[in-house]
Amino acid sequence: MTRISDPRAITGRLFKWLFIGLVFVYLYLPMAVLVTNSFNKSKYGHNWAGFSLKWYQELFDNNAMMQAFGHSLLVAALAATAATLIGTLMALAIHRYRFPLKSATSSLLFVLMMSPDIVLAITFLIIFIALGIQLGFWSLLIAHITFCLPFVVITVYAQMKSLDPNILEAAQDLGASEARIFRVIILPLMAPAVLAGWLLSFTLSLDDVIISSFVTGPGFEILPIRVFSMVKVGVSPEVNALATLLLVLSLTLVAVTTWLIKRQKNQ
Amino acid sequence: MTLTSLFRNVSAAAALLAAVAANAADKVVIYNWSEYIPDGVLEEFTEATGIEVEYNTYESNEVMYSKIKIQNAKGYDIVVPSSYYISKMAREGLLAKIDQSKLSNLKHLDTSLLNKPYDKGNQYSIPYTWGSTGIGINTDEIEKSSITSWNDLWDSKWLGSLLLTDDVREVFQMALAIQGHSANTRDPKEIEQAYQLLKTLMPNVLTFNSDAPREPYMAGDVNLGMIWNGEVIMAQEEMPEIDYIYPSEGVILWVDSFAIPANAEHKDAAHQFINFMLRPEIAARTVDYIGYATPNKDALELLDEETRNNPIIFPSQAIISKGEFQEDVGDEATALYNKYWEELKTSM
Amino acid sequence: MKAFIANLNFRRLVITLTISWLSIFVLLPHLMVVGTSFLTADADNFAIWPITLDNYLKVLDDTYAGVFWDSLVLSGITTVIALGIGYPFAFLLSRMTPALRAILLFMMVIPFWTNSLIRIYAIKMLLGKKGLFNLVLVSTGIVDKPVQLLYTDFAVIFGLVYILLPFMVLPLMASFDKLDQSLLEAGKDLGANAFHRFRHIILPLTMPGVIAGCLIVFLPAMGMFYVADLLGGARSLLLGNVIKNQFLVARDWPFGSAFSVFLIVLMGLLLWLYYKANQYVQKQGGMDDQNL
Repeated sequence: MTRISDPRAITGRLFKWLFIGLVFVYLYLPMAVLVTNSFNKSKYGHNWAGFSLKWYQELFDNNAMMQAFGHSLLVAALAATAATLIGTLMALAIHRYRFPLKSATSSLLFVLMMSPDIVLAITFLIIFIALGIQLGFWSLLIAHITFCLPFVVITVYAQMKSLDPNILEAAQDLGASEARIFRVIILPLMAPAVLAGWLLSFTLSLDDVIISSFVTGPGFEILPIRVFSMVKVGVSPEVNALATLLLVLSLTLVAVTTWLIKRQKNQ
Repeated sequence: MTLTSLFRNVSAAAALLAAVAANAADKVVIYNWSEYIPDGVLEEFTEATGIEVEYNTYESNEVMYSKIKIQNAKGYDIVVPSSYYISKMAREGLLAKIDQSKLSNLKHLDTSLLNKPYDKGNQYSIPYTWGSTGIGINTDEIEKSSITSWNDLWDSKWLGSLLLTDDVREVFQMALAIQGHSANTRDPKEIEQAYQLLKTLMPNVLTFNSDAPREPYMAGDVNLGMIWNGEVIMAQEEMPEIDYIYPSEGVILWVDSFAIPANAEHKDAAHQFINFMLRPEIAARTVDYIGYATPNKDALELLDEETRNNPIIFPSQAIISKGEFQEDVGDEATALYNKYWEELKTSM
Repeated sequence: MKAFIANLNFRRLVITLTISWLSIFVLLPHLMVVGTSFLTADADNFAIWPITLDNYLKVLDDTYAGVFWDSLVLSGITTVIALGIGYPFAFLLSRMTPALRAILLFMMVIPFWTNSLIRIYAIKMLLGKKGLFNLVLVSTGIVDKPVQLLYTDFAVIFGLVYILLPFMVLPLMASFDKLDQSLLEAGKDLGANAFHRFRHIILPLTMPGVIAGCLIVFLPAMGMFYVADLLGGARSLLLGNVIKNQFLVARDWPFGSAFSVFLIVLMGLLLWLYYKANQYVQKQGGMDDQNL
């Protein structure tokens, strides 16, 4: 308890929170611009023309924009789920099994993680054309799953290394099958890492611009492509309204989760 | 599961999806510049014809062309290329012939914008909008009368302050106009001369923008440079001080037209869509919405006085005849333009 | 016996899935890009025979030397700044209670659910002559008229750091997590001051995280064409812009591929360095290996 009264500790804490606060200001400043402009009557947002909710009205009337956003969410959710599933199995393979080309496999994952998006984008484009896969939903999904994979593998693998090998051996001795060991023992212990991997994948998929712009095709437009192509008329403020809603929704999610954690602790 | 079986499964899934898409009820897949169609028009089209619309967007002719080429002219039913891309795409067999007998509203179009060199007899394209690329200016910052020509942009007092459109042909067209050459020249010597002239302009350039060129003007970052006329109309809604100048050497004119990709799956629906867009009342709304001129002569009467007489939207005959429409220059010259363009943008 | 076969099948499934997915969607496409880079461009088809080295000669042409240099410098500066912000940030976060840490990490991720393109547009508004930055600069009297922030290298770096910062923080967090607190305590007991503890214990042990974070910022930064397009000036700055142009505008796929191969080679080189550094750290600190 002496630390609290120690003036050095107090300034230290002050600096700590000041620094963390500044980083978050940096991260949220552009969001603040979006939120402000979503209520700005001005179409172009360079001047404040008065408070208005009309962009929200227009957003809900704009089917194409909502559809593109829906597509983005769909791809992100599917890609995150598939990448988590496949990535967890890959982490298992690398952690638990010996097989030829194992080190090549992990190198490939590293390459995948470090590759600039632009390089991945053209590799995907070339392979889809070579395989005759139509550009559209499937090409988008496969590309998103693939670029999310290494992030899942690395997250899950890091936690797998902390597994107690004795438990697994005991289970093996008791005659549990590999699939069962994975399902009943490994997976539950991996749950936090798997969740983190999913969240990371979901985020990466929603955030992506470069790869999507190369592998998208007719009939399945996602949000960044729509925004990127608003050229002859500029980005419409409906996008700001959309971003604001998304922000409010996700911050609510954080608040609720925090509250739940606190309540769990108190009980 | 072996590699080949995985291959087979994946391609089978893709084929299945394609088949589902093809069998879907009547629909038309449009690939257009973003928000290049007024709000509500697509819904009205669906109401009137029962055809569902899927609207996809692109940011440049080049990207649209690449996507069409990659997909072998399949997947989209309507595209809206600029004039010079029509001839290029038609030549490469990427466009389907348009059946004019299905377009009862064709009669509304101004014949002076039909039968142009890039598409004789309008076999492949039906004009949708047309506009020009001229000089944009913020009259609060710069005296409007002090700027009259493209050549004025070369003045060294504009160091690091100009905006150019991010369009290779338009930028070269400007230099070619100053030198008195055709905007559609294929002569390597003339192109090289234009390149040399542009090189001396580069120190004045702050940014290239084909991503809403009015934005930097409105944000106060740019007060002078190239701009499309429709962008000025949109900017003036909030900032009337942004103005448009037709340069004395001649303005750059272009037409964006509807076309149907060669292997489109819903050609009939595509024709119905074009015909719908040719209705005078729809064309009039388009002018109001996007600020570019319409080739639809019967739509003019539906516009209000002010819009119809706005010289920024509808330039005088004298300006049109002095300007030059963009045309295709062939692959060889295009490659040369692109090469110089890359050099302009990388080695400054 | 049945169980043995079932086990074999599960194992085989997992291994086959791993190898086939990575071969088809990662290895094969990368090889095809390398292959394409030796072909000849063609207006009608994407690439045709004959095999040629022309694309590489073109890459080495003077025209592009500037782009290479600019890309390296801009990405380098971006990496250093991201490390400067990310390292203390990750360190502070790693010493918080797990719940608080989870909330802050989550808060860091949330802006990324709004597509980065949209946020880059917002940054564009921040940096413009009528934007918030200039407003503050002018009203506090630091400058008397708005300065040009947008369309400069500063704007590009600002945007790149913004987009890539979390990629720096995450591997650093992982490294800090592995820091053995007892080592620090031991150092303290032995009389090492804070600086010495940092210099001789924390820094070497978190080095793999630092290098991983730097790689994952440095390499992708060179490809972020849209950041340079929207925030940068008239000049093409990043390799990403050139590659995108070759693929979607000039349609010279072999030439664009040659550029990508350059990036792939650079990546291989840096990964090799990373591997070596890891080995070194293991030898030094006996720390758990980071590589997969």
